[in-house]
Amino acid sequence: MTSSSRFVGLALLSLALALLGSVDLASAQAKTELNVGLSGLASETLDPPVAGHFVKYYLSMMYDYLVGSTADGQLSPTGGLATKWENSADHKRWTFHLRKGVTFHNGDPVTADDVKFSLERAAGKRSTTGYAGILRTLVDKIETPAPDRIVIVTKDPTLIIPAYLSRTLSSEGMIVPKKYIETVGDDAFARKPIGSGPYKFVEQVTGSHIKLAAVDNHWRTGTPKYKTMTFRVVPEETTRIALLRRGEVDIAEVSRERVKELQREGFPVQLRREESIFSMWWVLDPSGWPAPMKDKRVREAMNVAIDRGEVVQGIFGGLAEPAPIPMGLSWAFKDIGFKPGPEMNYTYDPARAKKLLADAGLANGFPLDVYAFQLTGFPEGKAAAEAVAGYWEKIGIKTKLIPVDYPAFRKNWVDRKTPGAIGYFNIANRNWIGAYALLEKMAYSPSKPNDTANDPEIDGMIAQVMKQTDQQKVNTLMRNIYTRLRSEHLGMPIAYLHSAYATSKTLGKWNPGTVMYDFYLDDLAASK
Amino acid sequence: MVRFVATRLLQSLIALLMLSVVVFILARATGDPLSMVLPMSATEEDYANARAYLGLDRPYLEQYFSFVGRAVVGDFGTSIRARKPVSELIGERLPNSLKLATFAMTVSVLMAFPLGIMAAVKKGTAVDRMAQIVSILGQSLPTFWLAIVLVEFVAGRWQWLPAGGNTGFLSYVLPGFTLGWFVVAGMMRLLRSGMLEVLDSEYVKLARVKGVVEGRVIWLHALKNAMIPVVTFAGIYFSILVTTAIVVETVFAWPGLGRLAYEGISGRDFPVIQAVVMVTAAIVAVVNLGVDCLYAAIDPRIRYAR
Repeated sequence: MTSSSRFVGLALLSLALALLGSVDLASAQAKTELNVGLSGLASETLDPPVAGHFVKYYLSMMYDYLVGSTADGQLSPTGGLATKWENSADHKRWTFHLRKGVTFHNGDPVTADDVKFSLERAAGKRSTTGYAGILRTLVDKIETPAPDRIVIVTKDPTLIIPAYLSRTLSSEGMIVPKKYIETVGDDAFARKPIGSGPYKFVEQVTGSHIKLAAVDNHWRTGTPKYKTMTFRVVPEETTRIALLRRGEVDIAEVSRERVKELQREGFPVQLRREESIFSMWWVLDPSGWPAPMKDKRVREAMNVAIDRGEVVQGIFGGLAEPAPIPMGLSWAFKDIGFKPGPEMNYTYDPARAKKLLADAGLANGFPLDVYAFQLTGFPEGKAAAEAVAGYWEKIGIKTKLIPVDYPAFRKNWVDRKTPGAIGYFNIANRNWIGAYALLEKMAYSPSKPNDTANDPEIDGMIAQVMKQTDQQKVNTLMRNIYTRLRSEHLGMPIAYLHSAYATSKTLGKWNPGTVMYDFYLDDLAASK
Repeated sequence: MVRFVATRLLQSLIALLMLSVVVFILARATGDPLSMVLPMSATEEDYANARAYLGLDRPYLEQYFSFVGRAVVGDFGTSIRARKPVSELIGERLPNSLKLATFAMTVSVLMAFPLGIMAAVKKGTAVDRMAQIVSILGQSLPTFWLAIVLVEFVAGRWQWLPAGGNTGFLSYVLPGFTLGWFVVAGMMRLLRSGMLEVLDSEYVKLARVKGVVEGRVIWLHALKNAMIPVVTFAGIYFSILVTTAIVVETVFAWPGLGRLAYEGISGRDFPVIQAVVMVTAAIVAVVNLGVDCLYAAIDPRIRYAR
């Protein structure tokens, strides 16, 4: 045997042994490690005010919220630092009683000073969460009458404070350590963050993963059964599925079209039903509604021209539901007691659509620009836009598809450069406070230029919600807002999209919950 | 030689300066980066605050000189998206790309050299024909297709090798092979044609007539003279593999410089785009200089004028 042949033989033997070793190691690690494979982690930042809701998946395990929630999005005194909260008779003073004995990962106790610091920091100018504006508008001051008590004083009476600072919305309510941040500074904190959640930060390689390690005997989860939790950035779906098959991830984000294949292989697939709504809208004119969309008949015609059932089946493989309400976030409906009746569903009726256009003097149609772009979690974006444009073509509207990226569309939308053009988003579903925050941006004229509704009646109702102190009245206002959005056809709701997450065969029962951008991994990790 | 190196370095610096202006302008021409960072419901006040905090509301000239002034000391600013120093992001990702590119180039050399040399020595035989098939496949198979097929079958279904991420030596194999496959084809063809030309030359015939062992004739006398174009090719492709392996890094979830560039471009993260372009240009300049110096080592006839 020649020396080169011997070398090749040894190399192959080493490779085989290494392969065997790697397989064994992977299966051994799966027992104490939880690995989550996602297509992206947005900005991958570790500091709540600059992270926002897109990155709650891992941040909600690192930090505790002032106000906790259940997996189905109800505020909960057992899930957050506040064990109870109450408001004053004038609804301008919110008192939160803090859980005792909670410490940050560096051993410092969590006190009212930390909560005050965190909330002021969240509302500061450095924040890019998009929800700090309301806090700045509403909050007058924050008092700390005792180490385990804070009082948030608002400028106007309001009910929204607890929900706004809860896990159900964004990251404003996450509590960070005042002393540590004042010592090391914001930048150092963003690199080596410290929270008080059931998992502490271990390491981050941007573009690769964020690794967390369990905290022993945490009040939220006990001593978690997963010693480490790693969120892996795996942009390519084929690779995520390969990692799932190899046992290297336990939860993998998958597209709707791969669900049946994975189920056939025996991988459980959890659906977060109605995780987002694919909703389209018109770009407004600087002064309001442009022609011809100003005519309600045109807006109705464009809605009834769309075969939502066909779109659900053809584009989304049946893993979606037709949506009846523009910007209608269904996870909020139960909070406000809203039950869209069957009469609110748009029935596909191209003949009626043509008649409505003819009644509006547009029997020959009109030109329409339709922006087409992909979005995170919405790979069908362009195809869906093309499909909807096709329905409009059938009723005589001359559509022109404009492939762009989302920022380019957004610029046209907020600058109102192309009035009447169509854009869309897969808006993440959320509870009533999140739904209100969205409507306050996208259906409220004073919020120019994001407004897409330009309706004085809706403007009035939205302004009342923030200052309303009777929850029943808030619910009534919200129901009326949605009813009017629908009756005036102030947008084109297409479908609620179910998102799919395949899990390993050994993961066990997991309820991903219905909290925006949050898998609610507490229950999965909990030992109690 | 020293003067040659100094001149080349000066030329590279001038090129980098000109490039900094171009990339600064082009990056900003793509649009507002904040729409990628802020949620869709962010207000104009949120945008104004973020713009002010990130320094994007300053005049363009001020932004440019601030960027250049800090870049000379290795500070490329803060990533708009990640809110981390860009130099830190590059420090995390560049070594991963260097290691992967080195692995890929090693695989390419180990495959291309024997194949190319044997194809030339045994021209017209089955070995030569096999080498040509490898060459055609290497140059025609799209990288993204090869990557996906390897992930789906080798990693996912047969589970022979890791699917993604930088998780150890074995995780280099699939992305390294995918990257190196194209290079094998080109390197092998260049080597084959170079060797064919050299093996036919008078001095090689003389060496054989003088009784020099065939192995020495091929590996010592002939190969050295056929190496120049191969070294050029390898140098060019090494810098390409380090800096622009976007597809491979995306498919294999490899946290490298190519993916950082893609994330910067798709997120309109100006500081990242600027930094990656400058670092890429610097790598290309250094590698090209290294290749030029290597010529002198390989071929003593090459000397750079004083």
